[in-house]
Amino acid sequence: MDALTLEVLNGVSLFAVLAIVAAGLGVTFGLMGVINLAHGEFLMVGAYVAWVAHDAGVSHWLALPLAAVTLFVIGSVVEIALIRRIYRQPELTILATFGLSIVLRQLAELVFSKDFRNVPNPVPGATAAFGVLFPTYRYLLIVIATLFVAVMLTAFTRSRFGLVVRAVVANRDLAESSGIRTSAINIAAFGTGAAAAGVAGALVAPLGAVEPQMGLAYLPGAFLVVIVGGFSRLRGVIVGAVAVAALQTAVIHFYDAVLAQIASLLLAVLVLQTSRSSRSRRSSWIASMRGQRPQAGILP
Amino acid sequence: MPRLMAACATMLVLALVAVACGDDEQSSQTAPATTAEAANNTSDSSDTADASDGGTDGSADGDADDGEAAATDDQPSSDPDPESPPMEPVRIGILFSNSGPAGIFGPPVANIAQFIEEDLNARGGLNGRPVEVYMADDATDPEIGRQAMEQLIDSDNVHVVLGTHSSATRAAVKPLAEAANVLYIYTALYEGGECSSVMFNTGEVPSQQLAPTIPWMMRETGGTRWFLVGNDYVWPRRSFELAREYIEAAGGEVVGEEYVPLGTQDFSTIAQQIANSDADLLFPALVGGDAIAFETQAVDFGIGQSAIPRLANIYEENVLGAMGPAVTAGMRVTLGYFKELDNDLNKAFVERYYDRFGADAAPHATFSSHIYDAALLYAAAVAASGSTDTSVVAAALEGLDGLSLTTPSGLIAITDSRHLSQPIYVMEVQPDGSQLIVETFESVIPDETCDPS
Repeated sequence: MDALTLEVLNGVSLFAVLAIVAAGLGVTFGLMGVINLAHGEFLMVGAYVAWVAHDAGVSHWLALPLAAVTLFVIGSVVEIALIRRIYRQPELTILATFGLSIVLRQLAELVFSKDFRNVPNPVPGATAAFGVLFPTYRYLLIVIATLFVAVMLTAFTRSRFGLVVRAVVANRDLAESSGIRTSAINIAAFGTGAAAAGVAGALVAPLGAVEPQMGLAYLPGAFLVVIVGGFSRLRGVIVGAVAVAALQTAVIHFYDAVLAQIASLLLAVLVLQTSRSSRSRRSSWIASMRGQRPQAGILP
Repeated sequence: MPRLMAACATMLVLALVAVACGDDEQSSQTAPATTAEAANNTSDSSDTADASDGGTDGSADGDADDGEAAATDDQPSSDPDPESPPMEPVRIGILFSNSGPAGIFGPPVANIAQFIEEDLNARGGLNGRPVEVYMADDATDPEIGRQAMEQLIDSDNVHVVLGTHSSATRAAVKPLAEAANVLYIYTALYEGGECSSVMFNTGEVPSQQLAPTIPWMMRETGGTRWFLVGNDYVWPRRSFELAREYIEAAGGEVVGEEYVPLGTQDFSTIAQQIANSDADLLFPALVGGDAIAFETQAVDFGIGQSAIPRLANIYEENVLGAMGPAVTAGMRVTLGYFKELDNDLNKAFVERYYDRFGADAAPHATFSSHIYDAALLYAAAVAASGSTDTSVVAAALEGLDGLSLTTPSGLIAITDSRHLSQPIYVMEVQPDGSQLIVETFESVIPDETCDPS
């Protein structure tokens, strides 16, 4: 019984990490359709913010807003300098964000060197609950992830800002002509996605090593979650994180960690195949109802 | 117009990338003094060699013993006298990882490359010929490793390649060395089993690291039930295969063996399996960030070093430093070199290293030490054979069996399996994070066989 409780907790804490890491990508890739291969590097920069804060004696919890602000600024600059020129051009987006990821890694290496850095766990030790001992920081991560994703969801689905972002994504010209400053909205949205990645970086920093390459390890997981959850809807991040976390925990428990990665990849492929066919049916059905041609998707 | 802008933006990024990467390569390439001379040999290169020769006389005393070892071969008499026209330099190539995931091991190797060039020139070069060192970075990528090896062999015309990089790169570049008949000394610790007519392997192999230390660990701690957790590739798998033999031979048992993919961030399930396994000893063969993630998370799951003692075979300075003493205190690591070794040669060498490269220099450790030792072995073989011809030097290196060399890492000798008999040390991390050598096994012979002919 205890073993089962622990595995459930493991699964939930893995969900927390995945949801936090994927939330930002859910905005930039899912909502805005930018295949952002530099998402892992945004996360890496966020982790370095946490390390710098720790090094300067600042509380880890203060590092979270610091990381958010830093990455919002970086994200805005990237949007202005790079992303806004290549919306809806996936090939160029892949090239540009891949290049950006290399630049960011090299810059981190120049500034911080290749050394592994460690951000100490702000709440070391374990908490007894449900009859088992489980790391306190992971309990906190579960709470924070839930809050974090809830705030993001509210911001993008229930607020006027979210409505406007979705309007810009859906039809930029129409949004522009109805008085929305689309370029400002894009900056804000992409900046928010980057900021979320920064917070994620600061949150996962105490779980491992902070180093220039660390983003590479998180990137595939983030994309898997967004793909499995179904792009275009931010709440897909929750669905995706739950699905991937449950699958991985179960496969690691019964088989091993290598098979778990293969299994999540297969899940993503499966979801893509089934959703593609069902979505195209649905959109053409809607189009025929409205007597319109289906609009070109945000994604290829 | 937007397309043009986009193209420009992409170009800008690519340019930035080029600058960033170029910078990186440059910093590694500027390490050896003579790299600028590139392929033009003879006259001007030997001038440079002379310059560095004069500059390092005073600090090279750490090599006195090696000089003696080389001198015992009585070969230098066949050299032409130094007054004759400048001789063709001996070109030593170093293939290493200075970027990519293993790039963290690059900077100390680049530092040691300077020492190799200076020290060999300071003792009068090899058979009177000046020594030039050429560096090439494989970026932890076998494909780039091939290009780097081609650069060393075809453009730099090196006589020998000393390699410290992944096994994947070794597999990719070995055919190039064989095709060009260039001597290739692989110096990184690895899984063993390599055998080629142009190759020698001087890194620690699992049989050396584990055969003496596993029984030692069980005696020290009284533990018998081992859990093995490693990254999923050939080196941890080979290590665990051998570890299992040694554990069972010593009367212990393996209660769990788990592999995780490289780049694993979450170890909660593995940690739980270890906690439930009733293990009282842990052998982690995890590398880089994976090791740090595992150990920091393990503490919170109640299976830290204080609960289950570790014997590690790769946890090195960078990794231990990032974990911090709260996590690492008490851990034991088995390797062929630690900079804390308590011998005069090593103390002088380490002091000179930090004097030269600064107190915060990238730590000199087993990878950089093995590169240095390999250069000394090569120098001894060239001196003994009076040639830089690959087959002649290889024969001389094999002939060195029994003739030992004392280096900062201790007494080393090439074995007839073309590997290295070397001391194996056990280091224990102290509560303040400092490292203490707690056990030494002299002249451990690798359990390898090789008959390239």
